Order: sequence, then C-alpha cells, then structure tokens
Amino acid sequence: MSLEVHKGRAHPVYRERVGYQAGLLGGFSMVAAALLVMGNIATRDAIEQRRAEDLLASLGQVIPARLHDNDLLADSLMLTREDGSEVVVYRALSGLDVAAVAYQVTGQGYAGDIDLILGIDNRGRVLGARVLAHAETPGLGDKIEVARDDWILDFDGRSLGDPTDAGWAVKKDGGEFDQFSGATITPRAVVRAIKGGLEFFDAHRDGLLASAVIQRTDPEEAK
Amino acid sequence: MSNPYARIARDGLWDNNVVFAQSLALCPLLAVTGTATNGLGLGLASVFVMVTAGVLVSLLRGIITPQVRIPVFVLIIAVLVTLVDLGMNAWLHDLHKVLGLFIPLIVTNCAILGRAESFASRQPVARAAFDGLMMGAGFTLVLVLLGAVREIIGSGTLFQGAGLMLGEAMSFLELTLIPDYRGFLLAILPPGGFIALGFILAGKRVLDARADRRAARALDGAAPAA
Amino acid sequence: MSANSTTAAPHAHAPVSVQRTMRLVMLALLPATLFGLWQFGWPALLLFVVTVAAAMAAEAASLAVAGKPARPYLADGSALLTGWLLALTLPPWAPWWIGVVGAVIAIVVAKQVFGGIGQNLFNPAMVARVALLISFPLEMTSFVTPAPLFSGAAPGLLEGAAITFGAMPVPDAMTGATLLGEVRTELGEGATLSQVLPSLFDPLESGLGTIGGSLGETSALLLLLGGLFLLYKRVITWRIPVALLGSLAAMATLMHLLDPQHYAGPVYHLLSGSTLIAAFFIATDPVTSPVSARGQLLFGAGVGLLIYVIRTWAGYPEGVAFAVLLMNACTPLIDHWVKPRIYGRDRRGEPLDYTSTEPRR
Repeated sequence: MSLEVHKGRAHPVYRERVGYQAGLLGGFSMVAAALLVMGNIATRDAIEQRRAEDLLASLGQVIPARLHDNDLLADSLMLTREDGSEVVVYRALSGLDVAAVAYQVTGQGYAGDIDLILGIDNRGRVLGARVLAHAETPGLGDKIEVARDDWILDFDGRSLGDPTDAGWAVKKDGGEFDQFSGATITPRAVVRAIKGGLEFFDAHRDGLLASAVIQRTDPEEAK
Repeated sequence: MSNPYARIARDGLWDNNVVFAQSLALCPLLAVTGTATNGLGLGLASVFVMVTAGVLVSLLRGIITPQVRIPVFVLIIAVLVTLVDLGMNAWLHDLHKVLGLFIPLIVTNCAILGRAESFASRQPVARAAFDGLMMGAGFTLVLVLLGAVREIIGSGTLFQGAGLMLGEAMSFLELTLIPDYRGFLLAILPPGGFIALGFILAGKRVLDARADRRAARALDGAAPAA
Repeated sequence: MSANSTTAAPHAHAPVSVQRTMRLVMLALLPATLFGLWQFGWPALLLFVVTVAAAMAAEAASLAVAGKPARPYLADGSALLTGWLLALTLPPWAPWWIGVVGAVIAIVVAKQVFGGIGQNLFNPAMVARVALLISFPLEMTSFVTPAPLFSGAAPGLLEGAAITFGAMPVPDAMTGATLLGEVRTELGEGATLSQVLPSLFDPLESGLGTIGGSLGETSALLLLLGGLFLLYKRVITWRIPVALLGSLAAMATLMHLLDPQHYAGPVYHLLSGSTLIAAFFIATDPVTSPVSARGQLLFGAGVGLLIYVIRTWAGYPEGVAFAVLLMNACTPLIDHWVKPRIYGRDRRGEPLDYTSTEPRR
C-alpha cells in the first residue's frame, strides 16, 4: 500500500536489501529501548515517592499524626502469622516507645477478599480501620467504605474485651455491630477480619511493642 | 472542500470520527467513561500520543520501508504510550490511579495505528500533526460526551473530580445536577456504556439524515433560480 | 405466533393472532397474579398498576418516535403482557419508580430499539429484571412476608400508597429475604442443609405460595395450572418447559445424591424462586426461543442447567433471569445449527433420492 508513496521518487537499491530492513528495525528498537530507559530513570524517584505518599495517606487514616514523631514507613517490622503468611507491621513511635501499630488484615467477603488497614494503639484498642480494596456488590456491600457510610467508624475504640467475645459479631448473629439491609455477609467478614487483627495483636503483643528499643539505639542514626 | 486542513478537521471531528464512523477504540472508550472527567483525561492522553505518533511517522516516512512499517509503527506508539504512562504516574498521580489501567490500552487503540498507516505515512509533517490533533479531538469529544451521559444518569453529577485532574482552578466544573440522587448503577457499568453508545450513535445518524435532507432541499430550491 | 409452526409446507391456516395469544397468556397468568395481589395487598396492587401503565406509556411513546401507528400495536397486548410479567417478578413492596424504570428499560431498550414486536433478541421482562437487579440491589432484594389483604397485619389503601410511593418505609418487622437467598447465606456461613432447611422450607407452603417472594412467583401450584392451560390451548409446546424443569431437576438430584448436606434436592429447586413462571411463561416466549423441536429441547435444557449453576455457584441466589438471557443469546445459533427437515429433503437440505436403492454416499 505505502509503496505508492515512493513511486514518484527514485528508489535506492539498498532499501530493498534485507540488511537495510533488519538494520532499520534494529535501530528503531535500540532507540526505543534507550528512550524507555531514560524515561524510567527520569520518573523512578517521583513514582516511588508517590507510592510512599499513597501508603502514608492510608496509614494516616488509622494512626493519628499526634501519636507519633517518626516516619511510619521507616520503622516497619516483618512478622509471620499462624498460617505462615507474612505481614508488614508499621509502627508509630513516640520517642522510643511504640504508641501504635498498623497492619493489613483480610476478610472473606461476598465477592472475594476485603483488604483492610487496621490501626491499634499500644493498649490493644482499635484506632481506626479502613477498607483498602474490595469487590462487594455496589449499593449493598460497599457501605464498608468510609466514603459511603460511617459504619466502619463503629470499630474505633473497641478492643478484644469490648465488646465481649460473643459481641464481636453482627446483630443478626447476636453481636453488637449493625449489618446492612440486604447484605449480611460483607459486614460479617469485616467484623471477623478486625477481630482476627486484634487477636493477632494480642498474640504478638510483646514482639510488636518491645522491639523498637532494641532495634533503634540511636534515633538519629536510624534515619 | 478545497482547503485540506478544513477537510482533515471535518473528518476527524465528525465525518470519519474514530468512534462514530470507524467504530474503533471501543475498549478504552467503554472502560473509562464512567465519568466525564475520566473520559477527558484519557482523551487528552490519546491526543498527545496521536499527534506525536503522527509527527514521528511522517518525519520517518522516507526511511521506513513498506516491509517493516507495521512493527516500526507499533514500536513508536508503544514507546510513546509507555512514556506517557510513566510521566502520568510520576506527575499526575491521582489521575493515574483512575486511568492507570487504561493508559497501556492506548497501545491497542487501533485508531492510532490506523492513522499512522493510512495518513501520516504518506503526508507531510504539518498535515499529519493536524490530523492526529483532529482525530484525537474527535475521540476526546466522544469520550467526554459518553462520560457525561453516563455520569449524569449513573450518579447525577458532572465532571466529578475535574479539580483533581486539571487543578483547583477547574473545580468549578464539578456539578451536582441531581441532589440526593440514588444513583443508577447500570449506566456506570459496562453494559450501560454499550447502551448509551448505541443511543449516541443513533442520535448522530438522526443529525446526519437531517443535514442531508436540508442540503437536498437547498439544492432543490437553488436549481430553479439558476 | 404459535411455536408449533415449525413443520414444512403445506400449512393449514389457523385462527391464531398475536392478540389471541397474548389474551390466553394473560388468562393463564391471572390466578397466580390475583393470588399474589391478595397475598401482598395494596402496595403490590399499586406497583402492578404503575408498572403495566408505564409499559403501555413507554410503548406509545416509542411508537410515536418511530412514526408507527399507536393503536394497532398497543392493542395487540404485547406491551401489556411485558409490563405484567415484569411486575410479577418484582419484590411486591418495591417503590413505584422501580416499576417505571423497569418498564421503560423493557419496552424501549429491550424491545423497541430492536424494531418492536417480534424483532427483539432478548426477553424484555428479563432484561429489565437484570438491569434493575444490578442497578438497585437493595430495592430488588427487599422482600416482605405475606400479609393478605384485610388481615390484621396488612396495610390499608392509604398506608399501601405511602409504601409504594415512598412516603413511608417498609416496616422492619415485615422485611425478609427469599428462601433461596436465606439458604444461600446460611450455606455460605458453613451451615448444613439439615440444620437450615427444616425451619425455612416447607414444600406445601412453597407449592401453595404462602411465602415471601416476588409478586407473582410464589405460588407454584397456580403457575403450573396456568402453564397446563397454555399447553392445552396449544399456545406453547411441552418441549421447553419439560426440558427446562427436567434438566434443573436432574442437576439438583445428581448434586443432592453426591452431597445432601450442601446441595438441596429437586423439589426445593422446582418450587422455589422463578422456576415455574420461567418454564411456562418466559422461556417459552416464541420471539426469543428457537423454532425447531430439537432446538427447543436444547434451549430448555440449557436454561435449566444455567439456573442450577447460577443458583448454586454464582454470585446471585436466583439465576433465572440471567439463564434466560444467556440462552436467548444462543437462540440464533441454535436455529442455525438445528434446522427442521424440509419436506422431500434430508437433514442437510439435499433432495431425497427415491430412484436408487443404494444408500446415499
């Protein structure tokens, strides 16, 4: 088709050679690769920065800024759950004491996993919980998002003893937390996930709260 | 239509519109047009890629041989899109969070390869650039129109999030047309996109038929006088 | 319009018209409809009237836009029947605008856009039901327990109007999920059927229809009677209903035998949800189902199978509307592959060879 473009002009013979065409393709590939490398280098730091900002923004929702004076991302821990999966714990330090921790918990919703970030203070009380990702039915199960409903704020200040073990359930199951009309499975999953997160805190309390001092002998140096 | 630029503009915006006439690029179109703002964002990114691709292909048309032209075009477009993707992720991060999934889809936007092949590879640079601009503008028009229709029916708002994308100065665009609207999810979901697009295409044909009738009548009226 | 006209010429003329077919179908729906209206009271009656009126209005408006004469098309009863069927599948105390939006989707998007009566690819009432279900999941899954007209718990006319037209919320005490939804939820929580079913499912109640559910779908018995009436009047043939119910029952029996604690038996599936109304009144729609006898068997069996699959493993407790739409989409394919034999020709369309006793190659 585009042969016609060149009809009027004199065609140098070398254009028809395989070598020219292979060189052309190879040359374009090299230029393309060089451009991509340059683009990657130019944007890498900025993109990394944006990712960190995103993470900090969601951590900031469950750990109030007044509780800590450290960089939440710098003082994270890696722990192993009972089922063998690893969990990254972000710690809010006030001086050298751990004021609060935050980590991700996951519930089994109606349509797949519900990922939440859960903030807990050093006495085992929920500072806040926020949904990071879910696939629940729009209009029914998505009331777990704080943007749509303040249901999730009911967990603030709760702990394993408050309410009692039986109370950590939706009202339909005899617990203290509201379910949504038309959706029971979603709030059930969130209640369970948060309870599981508190139990994790309880089981690892010593490791979560004590190790800051050991790891960070000199706050300045660690920065 | 003597002026080639007027012809190019008319083709890109209406007569040979990417979506209206060529039915290309439906995948990104239906995927992002949940709101008018998202449509505008993808449209602007597409315009950038189309203009740049048009210029590059036109510049290089002398050295590219017919045998290897398609892989070279694809390479050019893929590099451009990847650079746009990286740039948006770094400097327009909030918009990238919404559109991030769809930016790579611009590579598969057959309209861009189609224009490179059928127009830019055989036209001078200025015309190729203008064609990319007009084709992109026509695509953006449809993206914004479909996004607006779906956003109004689906959530009762218009240009939600425009402030986030275009800067605070543009947040006046954000309108809540129907207060306390319950939302009509179907319009925002992909099937609603197909239905809305169908009605928009039908509307375009009604307008064209009306214009044809008017032209015919004008011709009839003019004939006896001449 | 009769689904029976699939044999080759010569055809004898019969007094079959669109209007007569529609009238017979409505007559067959009448007992189940009246039962539903009695059982769910004034709000249901108002919703029914609003939905049917909106369907007629949408049809008239579409015809006006298309420049077609309104009277003959309106009088054929097809819009009336579409609105009627849609209303029967709605939660009985749904707000009025559910009926209106549903009727407009059914008539405009699912029927008139395709060219009006006889041209639509998908069953209009089912398109509307699916659109409403994914758009308004809350309203479309809020069912009520029966409160028969003039009984103590039933709302009066004014109260009923307040419920339908949004001035008053449905009293909490009266809301509930359907049987299918309730069982699905409990199973999802790890309960077994022997714990759940005895308290929720009573075959006699499900058969008679004195349970919560969609407006006109609760009474299996009356729907079955209506279906048999249509069969007797030859408005529908036996193939789609029998194939649908048969494949659903077969799947349910098979899975029930494999694991009786997690898969309910055939009686439960046949009597619950929209099974019977779909088998006799919706899947048999002559416009959107195959014309040939074998095609109809295939179609019915496909719907039954999909109903079971969606109810058991997919995201929604009831899958009838999705199953019917999916098989509607397959109808052109079925019609293409399963053709009736033309008189004097074999199945491949070659003329029959009577002259030779040799088998054809």
